[in-house]
Amino acid sequence: MKAILSLLLLTISLSSFSIELHFCDQSLESLPIRQDGRIKPLKVHASEMLKYLTGKTKYEKLSSTVTFCLVSLKGMGIPNEVDLKTNIEHVDLIKTLELKDGEHRVSFEKLEENMTLIRSEWQKAEEHGSYKKSLASVLNKINLYKDIKSANNWLVPLVNSKDDVAWLPIGAYLTEEKVVKARETSDRPFLKVLKDSEEQYEKIVDKDFLIELTYVKMQLPLVALFLTFAGLITITLFRKFNIALVFAVLTVITQTAILAFRVYVSGRAPITNMYETVLFSGYGSLLLALVIGHFKKEKIYVFVGLAYNVCTLLMLNFAGGMLSSSISPLVPVLRDNFWLSTHVTTIILSYGALALSWVLANTVLIRKRFFSMSPADERYYSDLVYTCLKYGTVMLAAGIILGGVWADYSWGRFWGWDPKETWSLIVLCLYMAILHGKYTSWIPNGRFFLLVAAAFMSVMMAWFGVNYILATGLHSYGFSEGGAIFLGSFFAAQILVLALTYTRKDNQTHA
Amino acid sequence: MSFDFQKKLEKTERFLGGLKFAVIVITIFSIFMIVGTFFESYYGTDFVNRTIYKRMPFMVVQLGIFISVFFAMMLRLPPKKRLYGFYAIHTGLIMIGCGSFITWFSGVDGTLSLDPNTPARKVVLTDDILRIIYHDDGKTVMRKLPYVAFETNIGDKYEDVTLGDFYPFAEKELYWRKGNNPYAMNASIHSSTYILSNPNVTQEFTLSLHPEAIEFEASARLGLLDVTYLPKNLVTCFGDNNPSGYIIWDSKESSCFTPESRSIEIKNTSEGNKFFVVNQDSKFYSFFPDFNPWPVDEKLEVIKDSHLRVFSKKLFEDKPNLFLFGENAAYFEDNKWHMKSLKDKASIITLPWMGLELVLKKHDNSKFPSFRPVATMPVQLNGSLIKGQTKALKIEVLGKEYWVLDDRPVTLRINGKKVSFVLDKEILTLPFEFVLTKFKMEKDPGTNKPASYESFVKLFTDKGPSDHHIFMNNPLKHAGFTFYQASYSQDPETGVYSSTLSVNVDQGRPLKYLGSLFLVLGAMGHYLLNKRKVKKSDSADILNLEKV
Repeated sequence: MKAILSLLLLTISLSSFSIELHFCDQSLESLPIRQDGRIKPLKVHASEMLKYLTGKTKYEKLSSTVTFCLVSLKGMGIPNEVDLKTNIEHVDLIKTLELKDGEHRVSFEKLEENMTLIRSEWQKAEEHGSYKKSLASVLNKINLYKDIKSANNWLVPLVNSKDDVAWLPIGAYLTEEKVVKARETSDRPFLKVLKDSEEQYEKIVDKDFLIELTYVKMQLPLVALFLTFAGLITITLFRKFNIALVFAVLTVITQTAILAFRVYVSGRAPITNMYETVLFSGYGSLLLALVIGHFKKEKIYVFVGLAYNVCTLLMLNFAGGMLSSSISPLVPVLRDNFWLSTHVTTIILSYGALALSWVLANTVLIRKRFFSMSPADERYYSDLVYTCLKYGTVMLAAGIILGGVWADYSWGRFWGWDPKETWSLIVLCLYMAILHGKYTSWIPNGRFFLLVAAAFMSVMMAWFGVNYILATGLHSYGFSEGGAIFLGSFFAAQILVLALTYTRKDNQTHA
Repeated sequence: MSFDFQKKLEKTERFLGGLKFAVIVITIFSIFMIVGTFFESYYGTDFVNRTIYKRMPFMVVQLGIFISVFFAMMLRLPPKKRLYGFYAIHTGLIMIGCGSFITWFSGVDGTLSLDPNTPARKVVLTDDILRIIYHDDGKTVMRKLPYVAFETNIGDKYEDVTLGDFYPFAEKELYWRKGNNPYAMNASIHSSTYILSNPNVTQEFTLSLHPEAIEFEASARLGLLDVTYLPKNLVTCFGDNNPSGYIIWDSKESSCFTPESRSIEIKNTSEGNKFFVVNQDSKFYSFFPDFNPWPVDEKLEVIKDSHLRVFSKKLFEDKPNLFLFGENAAYFEDNKWHMKSLKDKASIITLPWMGLELVLKKHDNSKFPSFRPVATMPVQLNGSLIKGQTKALKIEVLGKEYWVLDDRPVTLRINGKKVSFVLDKEILTLPFEFVLTKFKMEKDPGTNKPASYESFVKLFTDKGPSDHHIFMNNPLKHAGFTFYQASYSQDPETGVYSSTLSVNVDQGRPLKYLGSLFLVLGAMGHYLLNKRKVKKSDSADILNLEKV
C-alpha cells in the first residue's frame, strides 16, 4: 500500500481536485461492486451509503460516487478535503458531544474521535430508551464510515472466469503490481485498474447490473411525480380532463417502467418493502381509477387516482428516511414469487382501492362543508365511494385468504393472529360493517362519507402502524423506524378534517 | 307452540340475523383484535393467546359472528336470485367457521427438533405440563397446567405432593440464602459478587464455591480474561512468591502450604519431569504437578478423591488470569504475583488489562446466591421476550416448599425414593421416526444473512426408510402430518446446525379452503348481481370540467 501511495504522490499534487481526476472519476459509477448480497453499480451503493450517513446524496458539488470514492481514499493514506457530516437530533446526545446552540451537523471525524465516549454513554443509557437508540444509530453510522474509510466497504470483482469471480475490498484489490502495470499505458493508473476490472466483468460475466444504473439515472419516481402533479393541476385548476387523462396515462407508463426495472434488478415481485408497497398502491389506485372511471363513465375517478398517487409519490421522493428505495435480498420465507405476487399485490391493490374511497369521501366532506352539495349529488357520490369499497373489500378478503393459504403452505397454519393478519381482518370487519350499514340504508349518506374517511385510518394502521408502532409479528420484513411521526400526523390531520367537516345534518340525510 | 312463543322466536331470529346484531358483534370482535395486537406488541404472542385469542370471551364473540351469519342467511330464505352472492358469502363464512372449529378442537400444532444423525419422534406441543418422575418405580405422572396469563393457585394434591402457585410468566430474582445441608465450620463454601469495569464495559458477575449454588460456577470468562474463584484460605499461599510456584491445597483442613514451607524437595524424573512427595498421616502422596493436580499412590494410580491437590501458579502466568478468593484477589504482573485486598468496601483494584477495575459488591461466607421466581408481566422486544421468560410452579412436599422452574427441575428423595419434578411442554410421540441427514444453509453472497435453509431427512416407517427434502415453502406431508421448515440453530462450539420443523395436523383445512372460495366468488357475484345506477345531475360535477 505504501508503494501505491508513493506512486500516487509522485503523480499528483494533493488537492481534492487532482485526486478526483486521478482516481475518483465519475466514470466509476458503472463499476460493478458486491454489497448486501447482490451486485450493483457503484453509484447505487454510494448514493445509498451517503444518504444513510449524511441524509443527502451529494457532498457539496461532488457526486455520490466521487464522494464515496474520496472517503475510501482516506483509508489508503491519501488525504483530501471531504468532510462528511451527519445530523444529531437527540438533545442528550447534543449535550454529550458538547455541540453549540443550534449546531446539529457533526463531522464524522469528530464523531470518530468521540467514539469511546459515545460507546460508554451507550453502555450506560437506559435500555430501550430513545437516547440509547440514538447512540446506537450514531455508532452504526461511525462504524460504517470507518468501514468506508478503511477501503473495505466496496468489493471489486477479480474475474477469473464466468463462474469464478472473487470480490475483493478496494484496498486489497489495488495491488502495486496492477498499478505499476497500468501506469505503463495510462497516466491515470488507478482509474485504469478499476475500469479494466469493470470491462472484464462486463465481457466475461454480464452487463445486467448496468440496468440498475440506467434506472437510477433516469430518476423515474421524480418524473412520475411531475407527470401526476401536472395531471392533478390540469384537472383541478385548468379543468381540462383529456389533458389530465394523458398525464395520468403517462404516469401509469412511467410507474410501470419503475416496477419493471425493479422486477428486473431484484428478480421478484416489486412489493417487498415499504417503499415498494407505497409505490404499488399509488400505481394500482391510479390504474384502478382509470379502469373504474372508464366503465362507470365517471371522470372524477381520474382526479381521485391522481390525487392519491401524488401523495404516494411525494412520500417516495421526499420521505427517504422512512422509505428506503434500496433493493435488498429477501428473507427465505418470502422467496416465493407466486405467493408474493398474488397475496401481497392483492392486499396492496385493495389498499389502493380503499384509498380512492378515502380521497373521494374527504373531497365530498370538504365540498359539503365549505361549498354546497345537494342530497341527490350526495347520493350520487356515495354510490361512487361504494363502488371503490366494493373493489377494495373483495380484493382485501381475497388477499387475506391468499395470505392464509400461503401461511398454511409455509408455516402450517391458515390463521395465527399475527398482528399484520389481525389488522387486515380488522380493516375488513370495519369496512364490512360500513358496507352492511350502507347496503341496508342504516347509514345515511352524510355519515357514510365520515365513516369511510375515518375507516382509512385502520388501513394505515394495518399498513404502516403494525410495522412502525407495533413493530412485531412474522411480517418482519418491513420493520423500520421513523414512521410513527408520519402516522401520528396522518391521524391528526384526518381527525381534524373529520372534526371540521362534521355537521349534525349528516345523521339526517338518508340514502 | 303458543303464538307468543312463536312471535318471540321470530323476533329473536330477526334480531340475531339483523344488521344491529351483526354490527355489534363485528365491533366487539374488532375491539378484541385491536387490543390483542397492542397486547402482543408489548407483552408477546404467548401472553395475548392466554388473555384474548384462546380465551372463552373471544371465542364467544366468534360464535356470535357465526350465529349472526347463519341467521342472516336463514332470514333471507327461500332463495332469491339477486341474493345468490349473499348466500355464497355467508355459506363460505359458515364453512370457514366450521373448519376453524375443527382445527381448534382436533388439530395438532407443535415443533420437532432434529439434531444431526439423531433419531427424533417427539413433537413439542404448546401446553405446559408438570412431569413427576418416580425413578425407582419407573413411573411418570403428568399434570396439565392451566392455560392462564397470570399467577394462579392450582391447589391439587397427588400423594405427598401439593401443587401451589403457577407463574406462566416470571422473572428470576437473585437472593442469598442459607443451605439446606450442614457444613463444617471451616468449609470453603463462600460466594461473592464483583463488578469489573472500564470506561467502555461494566460487568457484574457472581461466583460461588457453595455445593448448593447450582446456578453459579466458580469460574468465568470475561472476554480475554479468565476469572477463577478459589477458597479464601488459599490466599495465604498465593502471596508467597515461592520459587517453585506450587501450592498444595488440603480440602479436609481447608488450608494450604507450599513445598518450600514444608521443606519438600522437588525432584526431577529421569525424563526431566518434576515431582515431589507429601507425607501426611503416614501416607505418601506423589505429585507430578505439571501434568495432574491429583496425587498418585504407591502404584502410580491417580487418587481422584484425594483431599490434597496441587496448584501450579506458573501455568497461569502467560495469559490474563484473575484469581479471586472472596475478599482477596491475585494476578500476575511484572514477573510476580500481586495480592490485593477487597475487605474495605471502598477498595478498587486496578488490573493490568484494558484499564479494568475490580470492586467487590457482596461477599458471604455461608449464604449462597440463588434464584427465586417472581410473577411478572412479560415484555417483548424484537419478536422475543426480554422479561418473563421463566415459568414456575410451587410444590409442597412433606411440609417443605420448592420452586420448579422450566429450566431448573427439582429432584428430591420422598420416603427414600428418588423423585424428579419437571416443568415441561406436552409431548406427542410420532408413529414414525426422523433422522436429519444433512442441513444446508445458504447465505446471501458476502453476507451472513440466510438466503435459505433446508433439511434433508430420512423418514423411517413400517414400509422402510425414505429420503425427503424439506425447505421453506416446500413442506413434507406424511400420514396426515405436515412438516414445515421453521427454524434452525447452531452449536456455538462445534458449529453444527440443528433443524426445527413445525408439525401440523389440520383436519379443518378442506373446509376453510372451500369456504374461502365461496366467500370470494360470492362477494364478486353479489356485486355483479346487484349493480345499481344512480343518475348524475349537472351539479354533481364538482370539478367543473370543461365540456368537450
